Amino acid sequence: MSLWVDKYRPTSLGKLDYHKDQASQLKNLVQCGDFPHLLVYGPSGAGKKTRIMCLLRELYGAGVEKLRIEHQTIVAPSKKKIEINTIASNYHLEVNPSDAGNQDRVVIQELIKTVAQSQQIQSSTQREFKVVLLTEVDRLTKDAQHALRRTMEKYMATCRLILYSNSTSKVIGPIRSRCLAIRVPLPSTEEVCNVLTSVCKKEGLLLPPELAKQISEKSGRNLRKALLMCEACRVQQYPFSVDQDVPETDWEAYLRETANAIVSQQSPQRLLEVRARLYELLTHCIPPDIIMKGLVRELLNNCDGHLKTEVAHMAAYYEHRLQLGNKAIYHLEAFTAKFMAIYKKFMEDGLDAMMF
Amino acid sequence: MDEYDELFEIQDDFEDQFADELEVMAQMEAESPKPGKRQKQGPGDDISDIEHLLSEQPTTPKAKRQKQEVGVVKRLFNSSQIHDSEAPSHGEDITPPSSPEQYDHLQTVRSAPAVLDISGFDTIPESPRRPPTAAVSLHVLKRPPLEGDYISVTDSSGSRVYLRQKEDTGAKVVESRMVPNSLGSLGLLAVPIGVLREAEADRRHQQVVEESQRLTELLTSSVNDVLVETESREEEEDGDPEDSEGRSSRLWVDRFSPRHYTELLSDDFTNRCLLKWLKLWDTVVFGKERKTRPVRSDRQAPNQNSSKPNQANQNPNRFKTKVELTEEILEAELDQYKRPKFKVALLSGPPGLGKTTLAHIIAKHAGYNVVEINASDDRSADVFQKRIDTATQMKSVLGANERPNCLIIDEIDGAPTAAINILLATLNKKDSGEAGAESGKKKKKKESLLLRPIICICNDLYVPALRPLRQQAFLLNFPQTQPSRLAQRLAEVSLRQGMKVDTGTLMSLCEKTDNDIRSCINTLQFLHSRGHKQLNAKTIQCVSVGQKDQNKGFFHLWQEIFQLPRTKRKRIGEGFNEAPGSGGGAQRFQNILHLASSSGEYEKVSQGLYENYLSMRVRDPNLHTTCDALDWLGFSDRLNHVIMHGQNFSLMRYLPFLSVTFHFLFAHTHVPRISYPHSQQEASSRLLSSRNALISMLADIPPSIRARISQLKLTLDTLTLLLDIICPKLRPVNPQLFSSREKEQMHELIDTMLAYNLSYRQDRTPEGQYTYVLEPRIEEVVRFPGLPPRRQLTYQAKQTISREMEQEKMRRAEQLMLQRNPVAKREEKKDARPTTTRNHQQRLENIVKQTTVETRPEVDFFGRAVAPKPLRASDSGEKCPVLAMGKAVGNSDVWFRFNEGMSNAVRRNVYIRELL
Repeated sequence: MSLWVDKYRPTSLGKLDYHKDQASQLKNLVQCGDFPHLLVYGPSGAGKKTRIMCLLRELYGAGVEKLRIEHQTIVAPSKKKIEINTIASNYHLEVNPSDAGNQDRVVIQELIKTVAQSQQIQSSTQREFKVVLLTEVDRLTKDAQHALRRTMEKYMATCRLILYSNSTSKVIGPIRSRCLAIRVPLPSTEEVCNVLTSVCKKEGLLLPPELAKQISEKSGRNLRKALLMCEACRVQQYPFSVDQDVPETDWEAYLRETANAIVSQQSPQRLLEVRARLYELLTHCIPPDIIMKGLVRELLNNCDGHLKTEVAHMAAYYEHRLQLGNKAIYHLEAFTAKFMAIYKKFMEDGLDAMMF
Repeated sequence: MDEYDELFEIQDDFEDQFADELEVMAQMEAESPKPGKRQKQGPGDDISDIEHLLSEQPTTPKAKRQKQEVGVVKRLFNSSQIHDSEAPSHGEDITPPSSPEQYDHLQTVRSAPAVLDISGFDTIPESPRRPPTAAVSLHVLKRPPLEGDYISVTDSSGSRVYLRQKEDTGAKVVESRMVPNSLGSLGLLAVPIGVLREAEADRRHQQVVEESQRLTELLTSSVNDVLVETESREEEEDGDPEDSEGRSSRLWVDRFSPRHYTELLSDDFTNRCLLKWLKLWDTVVFGKERKTRPVRSDRQAPNQNSSKPNQANQNPNRFKTKVELTEEILEAELDQYKRPKFKVALLSGPPGLGKTTLAHIIAKHAGYNVVEINASDDRSADVFQKRIDTATQMKSVLGANERPNCLIIDEIDGAPTAAINILLATLNKKDSGEAGAESGKKKKKKESLLLRPIICICNDLYVPALRPLRQQAFLLNFPQTQPSRLAQRLAEVSLRQGMKVDTGTLMSLCEKTDNDIRSCINTLQFLHSRGHKQLNAKTIQCVSVGQKDQNKGFFHLWQEIFQLPRTKRKRIGEGFNEAPGSGGGAQRFQNILHLASSSGEYEKVSQGLYENYLSMRVRDPNLHTTCDALDWLGFSDRLNHVIMHGQNFSLMRYLPFLSVTFHFLFAHTHVPRISYPHSQQEASSRLLSSRNALISMLADIPPSIRARISQLKLTLDTLTLLLDIICPKLRPVNPQLFSSREKEQMHELIDTMLAYNLSYRQDRTPEGQYTYVLEPRIEEVVRFPGLPPRRQLTYQAKQTISREMEQEKMRRAEQLMLQRNPVAKREEKKDARPTTTRNHQQRLENIVKQTTVETRPEVDFFGRAVAPKPLRASDSGEKCPVLAMGKAVGNSDVWFRFNEGMSNAVRRNVYIRELL
């Protein structure tokens, strides 16, 4: 509990730092005594999980914070054993079915169904339902999502699901319609700054507002990242200086360099080099869609005017194909090659226009 | 007439062959009112009459056989009746008035009396003719009958038969014929009956002549076959009926397969080696002396290969050593049981070169009876064992082939490992020791020993299951057949089948099929059956059969894809007759498509394409080609995904088009330098290892934190910064000397590391230096090459942290224990002090005991108790010093212990008495 992120995480709905309206709404929801299935979504580092845990605490009291990790073994119909870790308290169960890869359907069918079917024994003291928290729902396969549909309806009496994902676009419609969708947006720069300052105050440090702003911008308003960055800054150099170098994640730096390499030269040889870099990123467990996104963001900085729309269009096209296919590297490289072609043409046209 | 032929050839003896001829005669006899007139018309004319035969039929012992023949004859007559019905229409110019209907009518009416005779038979028109055939066969004799008249009949091949003559019943027949005729005479005929009969008789005669001619032809052709199919007479006779049966339905491959060693098409060196190897077994199998063998085989080999004597020496440089090696093996000594060193020969080579044929022929040639096991048999371990045992240890006692068995295991590369292990076990079976062999001679213990040669045949020598066998087998690799020899043989085949083919065409056929004998002959037969009597190179190229569905290596395929075909290269599928510009594209398309689809492993192929396409020398300034290629790759990836995900394998057929596209996009005249695709494999293994590092890190993170982080968040946000955070600036001093601020910092650091399941582990680099590495190895997961290095802690700092962490861990563990059972812990603590004192006391007491033990009663030399001496009184009075000292040690507060060795402590002499 020593990272600031963990140490100063709010534990009740009342103590949340931003989106207070939403917090009060959630509080009202719980105080009604019942709530529907929830689908909490929003970008990474916006505080979804914090909100959910606060909600659970509001529901069940401090007992939810007594967590334990359970190793569950599920036998698939094909006799294959699937091992999955769940985090559970007496009142809720948290599963990440996508840990099971392609067998996530089995996890949904077996694990969640058993939990949902079992009744709460002491219904007088507790709520009459358990909560199952499914994380990374957007990485669930379609099969698993369909398996979830019926469970959601059938065991409504004993179980509530809280689904948790980054975006709803990969959640199938039937599930979306069964849930109350709650979007947790990123905090604004000011809110991030406020959080950073208050945390530093609690730590007994003095954070110059300029640095706070710089951190929040560099972190992309991802509060988790911002706090970690702030702490890293603190480790680097204590009395904070305004123009301090804010550390960033390696993969982002690497991606930026890759984008620069693409922009600086367009040739098959360069494409080969870029391929090696893309492989490097992929093997460091960076998901391909995030690579694509990062790449586009970096590349767009180097484009102007109508080229931006074209690049964005191409990126969308290849990102879609990326989702449909298996081999991310093909599609990433295809996008790179396409960008190179477009960019080169654009530059040559520009050169021609200059000459004439 | 196919049916006719087939049926005809079922019967193998002469009588049957002539049965229908004779039968026709008999029929004519029956039809004609004047038997005498017939006599000049055919060789077997006035043979028999129906009545007599009918009367004889029931008494014949071989009734069943006869019935069969009857059936056959009936079929024969079906066809001849077709002739009958056809004949009048043909012969209308001669005898216009007789219409077929009338004729039929006539026939049926005529048959009526016969029906009366044979009461059991149907009234179908043919029925009267049935009995004669059966009878005729009885009356055809191989030697002159003892009594009665006979006529000798000689066919063109010179074999002669004798037909018994009967005269008296002819009139009766005529009489019976007269009845229907007289009935029929109610209606007037347009032509006088005599003319009609005349015409009919002529027609019959002609038919008979034709028939006999045809028969003669057939006979002579079969005789030719006999001549061609060289010596071994009895083998020939075995093969002959089979050979003649279904002549047209059999595959040419089988019909023209070599029957003898000299006819083998395969490489002579290989043939000779195998034969030599097989001859090595002669000593043990046939009991021949070995000395004769080399002479014989040496003599034999050049003799028999006189057509191509230099075959083995054709490529002397490359295979010289291998050849020598093989020769050496063949000259090697026999083992203790007089068996050759290698008990198994393993033939390997691509399909269609005649491996199986070679094995069969050589085994036969060496005088063995061939027993074959192939993939069509069950090859589970026990069945295999049984079959091997039967083949190698038993021998057919009855029957013609009393020769020893030679086991041929075909297609062994498909056999399960268990089966091959059994084979190996059979090979290595020892004769239960030397002594056992001596004594076991009479017990026939030797049966377990392998004493028969085994020949194994496979296509792929390097199947994993064959690995153990390879080391114990006499390996023979089949080289390609010489195209010239193959073409020569093909020419013979086509000549015999009446096809006109020139050598150039046949050579191109050989090239197209890659010298696959089977494929060549099959193609020829296919074309023959399609009615191509004349072939040229163009037909061969156009026809889509014959091209072997083989897969070449990946590199070959990639090379084909990335290299433009040279114009002068006459590849099949790239028509060299056409102008290179006109159809070249289509031909190339087809060629690449064929190659790619026959390789089958699209995944690997596309990986190879992906890895290599960027290094091709293609002018691509606008990168459009590259974009196209990548689009295609993306498409094929998507196809793959759909195929795998939905098991929609019908889409598989679109996968090879990727190769075609790449060919058209990147093919170049230069020889491409192709590297094997590793990167995807490497990437996936590295991805796996970094995943594992993350998983192992996550595994032991306490749940309160575990709930907040996932693998993704860890990689994207947390880890890099976390690594920065756990590298604070530490003063390189003893942690005892840290300021309180620093101590707090240190504490926090350790807290964090414990919370995130990180620790330092001492490791030794290959250079012998000690380092501390972070465990689990997440540094590899988040650090990228080529970026400015992050600040690292010094070795000392890491050491300090590591030590502090250990302490902290211990502290926590203790705390945890305390929390779990606080009462027990406290009690234990209370107990701790007393127990230690007690221990101390106990030890002292032991010492005291040891010293007091000395005071046992004294015994003299003989063990008797020594009487108390006056000394004792004084002893007891002033106390035994030892005893006193022991007690003093036990009771006083001061005690000492002597430790052996040296200590650096300050020394001082202390006397016991000072202590007392």
